[in-house]
Amino acid sequence: MVNGNSTFYQEFEVFSKRTPSSAFQHQFSLLAPNAEMALVMAQENFMRREPVEDIWVVNRVNIRGLDQEEKQILNRIDNKDYRNTKGYGYLKKKWRHYEQKMFDEQEILSWGKEQGK
Amino acid sequence: MSNVVALDKEAELMESFIQRIEQGKKIEADDWMPEEYRTVLIKLISMHGISEIMGALPEKEWVPKAPSLYRKLGIMAKVQDEMGHGQLLLRVAEDLLKPYEKDRGDLMNDLFKGDLKFHNVFHMATETWGDAGLIGWLVDGAAIITQTDMLGASYGPYARALQRICAEEVFHAQHGEAIIMALAEGTEEQKEMVQDALNRWWPALLMFFGPASKDTTGASKQDATIKYQIRTKTNEQLRQSFFTKYIPRILSLGLTIPDSTIHFDEEQQTWIYQQPDWNEFKKIIKNQGPRSQARLNLRRTSYENNAWVREALSARIN
Amino acid sequence: MSQATLTLSPEYKKALIELLFQLADDDFLFAYRGSEWLGLAPHIEEDVASSSISQDSMGHAAIFYKLLEELGAGNADALAHARPANERKNCILVERVNGPGNYMEDARYDWAYAVVRNYFYTLAKKIKVQSLKQSDYQPLADVAVKVDMEIHYHLLHWKTWFVQLLSSTEDAKKRMIQAIEKVMNDFPDVFSFGDGAQQIHSYGLIEEETVLKERWIAALEQVLETAQITIPETTGVESKNGRNGEHSVELEEALEILGEVYHQDTAAAW
Repeated sequence: MVNGNSTFYQEFEVFSKRTPSSAFQHQFSLLAPNAEMALVMAQENFMRREPVEDIWVVNRVNIRGLDQEEKQILNRIDNKDYRNTKGYGYLKKKWRHYEQKMFDEQEILSWGKEQGK
Repeated sequence: MSNVVALDKEAELMESFIQRIEQGKKIEADDWMPEEYRTVLIKLISMHGISEIMGALPEKEWVPKAPSLYRKLGIMAKVQDEMGHGQLLLRVAEDLLKPYEKDRGDLMNDLFKGDLKFHNVFHMATETWGDAGLIGWLVDGAAIITQTDMLGASYGPYARALQRICAEEVFHAQHGEAIIMALAEGTEEQKEMVQDALNRWWPALLMFFGPASKDTTGASKQDATIKYQIRTKTNEQLRQSFFTKYIPRILSLGLTIPDSTIHFDEEQQTWIYQQPDWNEFKKIIKNQGPRSQARLNLRRTSYENNAWVREALSARIN
Repeated sequence: MSQATLTLSPEYKKALIELLFQLADDDFLFAYRGSEWLGLAPHIEEDVASSSISQDSMGHAAIFYKLLEELGAGNADALAHARPANERKNCILVERVNGPGNYMEDARYDWAYAVVRNYFYTLAKKIKVQSLKQSDYQPLADVAVKVDMEIHYHLLHWKTWFVQLLSSTEDAKKRMIQAIEKVMNDFPDVFSFGDGAQQIHSYGLIEEETVLKERWIAALEQVLETAQITIPETTGVESKNGRNGEHSVELEEALEILGEVYHQDTAAAW
């Protein structure tokens, strides 16, 4: 039945942040007559046993997703080593020859944690 | 000519659908699926969801009556979870119902008309605080067995809902155990209370898993759900699993199973037990169980009495 | 007993206990009435959400009963379950039934009444709790900070329902106005501190009734203005003062249910 009652049953997707520094993640969907109500329902319906730093509710009608046909735009050939570290693994041996370390992902991302001198 | 093309396309879609399931990949709400898959899911999940909603009613009796502040809080949280589980499952069912233009209001009407049934175990009466404990311990225990069997379900939204549900069931199991443990370690009257609850609920616990085959009651839906990899075990396998997991625990507390014949046959590697009265089951699935109509009336009365609320908020312009 | 309680004079302790019983009994009954709606709310998501509010409130009651236990008033569970109606200090508003019928059979509960009662009570609780943050009794002030934290959500929840129902259909507005009248009829003792009020205030445990009531009215004013309604003057009819142990048969029936299993064996462990 899609009549007047259907506006009471609008679908809202609920997102939440666990900690101040984490990104929003999708939780689940709920029915509510409007966004204010959806917001008031959100935490107790899906996150009552976990920490919540922030909440978004989004009416499904505002989400632009992909239909079956359109999902095809997501496919790629697996020939793109040129833009991944995988394509440059040979450097490790080369640097060893020059008695230098390989600056790989693990090494570079650790620089952010170094103490200032 | 276009009919042949359509049939070919359909066969193609069906083939890739079966392939996906067999590869353990999930089917999502917007994916193509055969009509049968959709209807099997709708039937299973809407019944599962509405059972949680109706299941809150026998337990809510004990919320105000719980004998301590801590127990009141625990059982409040448990009943809230049941409503929450219902919410998750109905959402999954509602999304599957989209092509039929049916929504939650229709599901509620189906419930009241008697077309949408709720699980047999929730048609039974509760009589004492011991029942509240027993439900949390063994009814939820049985539910955990059937639900964990579906954690790998081929339908993504259902599998994800079950993930949330099973996580909360752990608390339910412990809440139920806590009540039972206090009674089993308590006064003579308290010990009798648990035994009495177990005696009364035993047949319902057996019937929880459904008939072994349609020869028993004339109906069984397990084949389709196994075929589509929504569940893996048969009703009887699940019931056997329940015995294996719970009988040692029940006996360890000094309780007796109200079936003197029940034993594990080493040779057949199976539990031998007395069948419950499946005629009772047949009555229950026609909504003629001990509390079927009372609970439906309770729910229906409140739903209709508060229709004005839904009408009012539908009318608001945001 | 803690160092703090050892140094309390008997009169101070008496006044403090009096106040704590009011706070504890209020939330205990409020939570009970909320829990009667389980499985029956007009919307499933609401059923789940409002159940948290009932739990939080029962949790607040438990905290207050615990404070009473620490003051030597008795065991918390016994205080919650064993005291008869004429010893209870809750306000009349929270003991009233949700509507005709029974929570297990034929419940014809009124959602408008639930919303108005819950919103008006929660707002009153907020005002009280804000005052309690400056209570002379430090443990109570500390508790007030915690309780206040959870009230934010309770208030937003019930205010949202209150405002939305009042600004929807004519039918809804009519029901809400009727509910407001009914709630206000029972409102007089919400901010009362009973016969022991003078003592309670003299020890700086909480501010006075008139001050708190005014704040409540001011807080409500804006909301009502937008909805274009006014709160009815409470009638001159003498209503009961729950703070002095004057209660209705509704409380007796509620206590019977609440204590049903507890009374099967008050000495047993459950």
